[in-house]
Amino acid sequence: MRRALLLIFLGFASTAQAQSRWNVSFGVGGGSEIARSRSDTTRERVSGLVLGGEAVATRGKFVTRLRYGQGRVTNDTAGRDVAEGEALLGYNARPWLTVWFGPHARTFVVPGQSDRRWLQWSGRVTARGTLFPERVESFVELWQGITGSLNRPAESASGGGAEAGLVLRLARHPVWGRLAYRIEQERGATRRETVEAITLTVGFVPLR
Amino acid sequence: MTHARSFLVLLVALLLLAAPGAASAQSAAAVLAQGARAYDDLELDNAAGLLRRALAVQGADALAPRDASRALMYLAATELLREHADSARAVARRLVLADPRFRPDELVFPPQVLTFYEGVRRATPVVIARAPADTAIRPGAEALAVRLYASTFHEVTATLGTEAGRVVRMLYAGPIGDSLDLHWNGLDSSGTASPPNGRYAITVTSLDRQRRIVRILRLPLEVTQGRVDTLPHPGPPADSLLLPERQPMGPGLKALAPGALAGVAIAVLPSVVANGEDASAARFVVGGSLTIAGIAAFVSHHPGKSIPANVAHNRALRDAWRREDALVASRNAERARGMIGIRVGAPVLLTPEAP
Repeated sequence: MRRALLLIFLGFASTAQAQSRWNVSFGVGGGSEIARSRSDTTRERVSGLVLGGEAVATRGKFVTRLRYGQGRVTNDTAGRDVAEGEALLGYNARPWLTVWFGPHARTFVVPGQSDRRWLQWSGRVTARGTLFPERVESFVELWQGITGSLNRPAESASGGGAEAGLVLRLARHPVWGRLAYRIEQERGATRRETVEAITLTVGFVPLR
Repeated sequence: MTHARSFLVLLVALLLLAAPGAASAQSAAAVLAQGARAYDDLELDNAAGLLRRALAVQGADALAPRDASRALMYLAATELLREHADSARAVARRLVLADPRFRPDELVFPPQVLTFYEGVRRATPVVIARAPADTAIRPGAEALAVRLYASTFHEVTATLGTEAGRVVRMLYAGPIGDSLDLHWNGLDSSGTASPPNGRYAITVTSLDRQRRIVRILRLPLEVTQGRVDTLPHPGPPADSLLLPERQPMGPGLKALAPGALAGVAIAVLPSVVANGEDASAARFVVGGSLTIAGIAAFVSHHPGKSIPANVAHNRALRDAWRREDALVASRNAERARGMIGIRVGAPVLLTPEAP
């Protein structure tokens, strides 16, 4: 299954390469993240700061997006490191609509224990709306896991999530900012993890 | 062979059926020619019969007015030569009444006939009238001209009256020789105003030497005030030419919607994506920001605000239309001022008593 998905991903990528020149955008940001973990026996709520970066490359109607972030989430009794990332390939079906496909993963690292990693292959849809032309737009993104897994305990996983927010662009400057709220939930047979985040990202478009 | 014979019989039958129409179509003029030849050959009884037959044809196949006058003249001459003087006089009188201007050909008819006809014509005072069928005049400044043609010199009176017989205006009283032009200037007897819309008639009364009424010609008129062709008024400016005078709501709502919907989505999505979890209230910071941004975008479009440039553009268009409309209205008023339309009907000749 993963091999097939990888082939589709590479197929999209090669098609994208056949299009016109690339437009690339980079961003860095951070945000407050809250993770709620539930298993048959435990419930845990941790929160903290996660910092990260992203790169978005556009060529014709095809888009690729890479995001990575890491930080530490804690509560009064425990703390974990968290690392998360995604690699998506998208297609701009309409000027205001992009469909995405690709993997994303989140790993919780607890000292003295093996890592707990969620991996999802998901399909996504992003819709955008213009508030002030060329300056401010809103977006809502929904995703649904197609296939996924949890490494510890080893079991298959499902999930879904949403992100919505506001993107601002400065006039005559290749700089943009994004304020977003994100919520995701991943579910295994014995464990369920919900992550909320409010992020602020600042980016620039060097090649536009 | 049998089929060929049947076809011939059918063809002949069809020709016989069609023949009477064609024969009658030709017969009036042809019979007149035969009657004229019979008269020339002094076959007077035959000529009288043929000429009466020609005159009896009615409808589309009837003799043309000019030929009818010739037929009556031949018939009068025939009856006179047959020594049917009364019949000849009646026919000649009929000719005078129908065509007062008719004069017999001196190369065709003998002096006896010419003298006889001249006597009847002089003894039969009558007029006919010619007038334009439809005209418009400016009362007081222009006039309706009606030309009268007389059979002989005699006295006439001409009046304009209502259908009921009330005299509106005296037009003429006096002698008429060969012809006379009557003029009506469109005014009533007061000389200051035109009569109201309605049906009228010019009545020309022919008098004999004892001033007895021998003939009355009625020429019906229909008078209409201000009946003139007018210029069409220009239509108002088409909607496609007018620009919106106020900022529409649409663009404002279009800008508001993405912000408001995304704000609502942030409030609602946690219960969809992570049902059973208590989502953080901090998300409303983002949702509120989106909603405020949407409202700001809506306000930035100034929905309902007047657009001065478009207002001025539309005002210029409307003013130009009003000016043109007023100009057409004044031109039409100028055209119609005091004008009356006159429609002339077919004249009717009445003979109150035999002269």
